[in-house]
Amino acid sequence: MSLVKSALREISLNLHSRPGARLVTLLMVALAFIVFNTFLIISWNLQGIMDREENLVGMEVFLYRGISQAEGRLIGDHISSMQDVKSVYFVSPQEAEALFRADLPGRADLLDVMGTDFRLPASLQIVFETEAISQGRISELSRQIGAIAGVEDAVYGEDYLPGLLKTVTTIRRLVILLGIVLVSSISLVVFYTVRLSVVRRSLTVDIMRTVGAPWWFIRIPFVVEGIFMGVTGSAGGLALAAILSKVLSSAVTHRFMPMSWITLVILLGAVTGTVGALAGSYEKER
Amino acid sequence: MLVTMNGVRLSYGRWPALDKIDMEIRQGEFVVISGASGAGKTSLLRLIWMGDRPDSGIVDVSGFRSDRIRKVELPQLRRKIGIVFQDFRLLHTRTVFDNVALPLQVTGTGNRIVQKRVISLLARMGLSHRRNAFPHELSGGEQQRVAIARAMVAHPVILLADEPTGNLDPEVSMEVVELLLEINRAGTTVVMATHDPRQVPAGKGRFLFLDKGVLRGADRWTELDSDS
Ligand SMILES: Nc1ncnc2c1ncn2[C@@H]1O[C@H](COP(=O)(O)OP(=O)(O)OP(=O)(O)O)[C@@H](O)[C@H]1O
Ligand SMILES: [Mg+2]
Repeated sequence: MSLVKSALREISLNLHSRPGARLVTLLMVALAFIVFNTFLIISWNLQGIMDREENLVGMEVFLYRGISQAEGRLIGDHISSMQDVKSVYFVSPQEAEALFRADLPGRADLLDVMGTDFRLPASLQIVFETEAISQGRISELSRQIGAIAGVEDAVYGEDYLPGLLKTVTTIRRLVILLGIVLVSSISLVVFYTVRLSVVRRSLTVDIMRTVGAPWWFIRIPFVVEGIFMGVTGSAGGLALAAILSKVLSSAVTHRFMPMSWITLVILLGAVTGTVGALAGSYEKER
Repeated sequence: MLVTMNGVRLSYGRWPALDKIDMEIRQGEFVVISGASGAGKTSLLRLIWMGDRPDSGIVDVSGFRSDRIRKVELPQLRRKIGIVFQDFRLLHTRTVFDNVALPLQVTGTGNRIVQKRVISLLARMGLSHRRNAFPHELSGGEQQRVAIARAMVAHPVILLADEPTGNLDPEVSMEVVELLLEINRAGTTVVMATHDPRQVPAGKGRFLFLDKGVLRGADRWTELDSDS
């Protein structure tokens, strides 16, 4: 019991010593994390943009005019059961008309001119699974769907699709590569900064060792310090990035990171801080 | 036998710092290890507190054997050993009281016992009035007395002193040696490394002489004296 109390006392003594050096370490860690967070915010937003772009990669399937609503839905169910099809949305003639009026209010007169008997064709809006999207697969699907009885035409962006898909893939790869580089360098920066701040107290470790302190007793203040610096450093970096994001929000519309990413950033800080502190307190014993 | 070394060799890198060491230290002895700078005095003491393990040979300290001791057992060994260094090695951010109390606190000794033991020890060392001072507020002699108090507070069976007078002027050095002799008279085995064995009166201890890592046996300090 007394040993636990002494250990707690050591932890608190350690956290209260050298506030200047600790502040410098914290700033270093926070700065490293600002760089990382900026990257994360950019890639998170890029992710959003690319997802939206890819969702545009769908197909519009026009049905023959004579097809009833029930038949149309049947065809929809059939397409929906095909591989790589994510969703199928049935657009009735009425809805098509409403959409037309909403999208092109200036041309509504075209519909009025056609008279009350005129109906826009019913259609099916198809969205594909993002992973499945490739040039070849889509044209194959378009052939298959076009061959279904009742389908008049299946249209997709033949001209812009190949370029878009290539760009998206390239950007994804670049982001992942950059992410790996950044995670490793942030980890190293945090590891070495925290380690250095602990190594500076190797005399304490030495003394503790010679007076017979158990190894956990010697290390626990440093582990706590490592966690503390890692967490506060990364949280500080997050807070600064959040402020930056707020300031820039009027200039560039974007969103901040999701909660899961924020958690991971703090976890990364905690882990690298702890490992750095442990490495700093590690003494070679032969 | 408190300490036994058999055919011990210790090297840092290529050259042995210590070689062919055979040595025994009995309970209650006052052993003086002398030798020139680099002769291996510090290394020999490090072997005793097992800060280093020998490359070959066996060091046995109070039943702990260098070839068998596990890392988790090292703290147990070190609680039986008090160590004093030339540079005192006090924690600058802690008071005299806290420095002396450290060996008790790391073993989870209750607060009341810590208070009692530290206060009475400081009184015996003539340091009572300095108990709330920080190390940098003390003279060298006082700092070394604090370090000796820290080494003795947990009642070790053996006290290792590595050039305890190296940073002190002759008068204060004599006081420190006198303190070590007194500790020895009270029953604790003392091993003191020094480059100047004349600090310890002849007949008050057993004198060993290290020459380039090799132990040259007893009472060689007279020879060393005539050399210089
Ligand atoms: N950590 C180390 N790494 C490499 N060599 C070392 C190390 N410690 C000691 N040595 C070498 O081992 C030899 C013995 O050193 P040691 O410190 O034991 O001598 P010493 O008798 O205590 O000397 P001094 O009187 O100067 O304190 C020396 O040659 C020294 O250079
Ligand atoms: Mg030495």
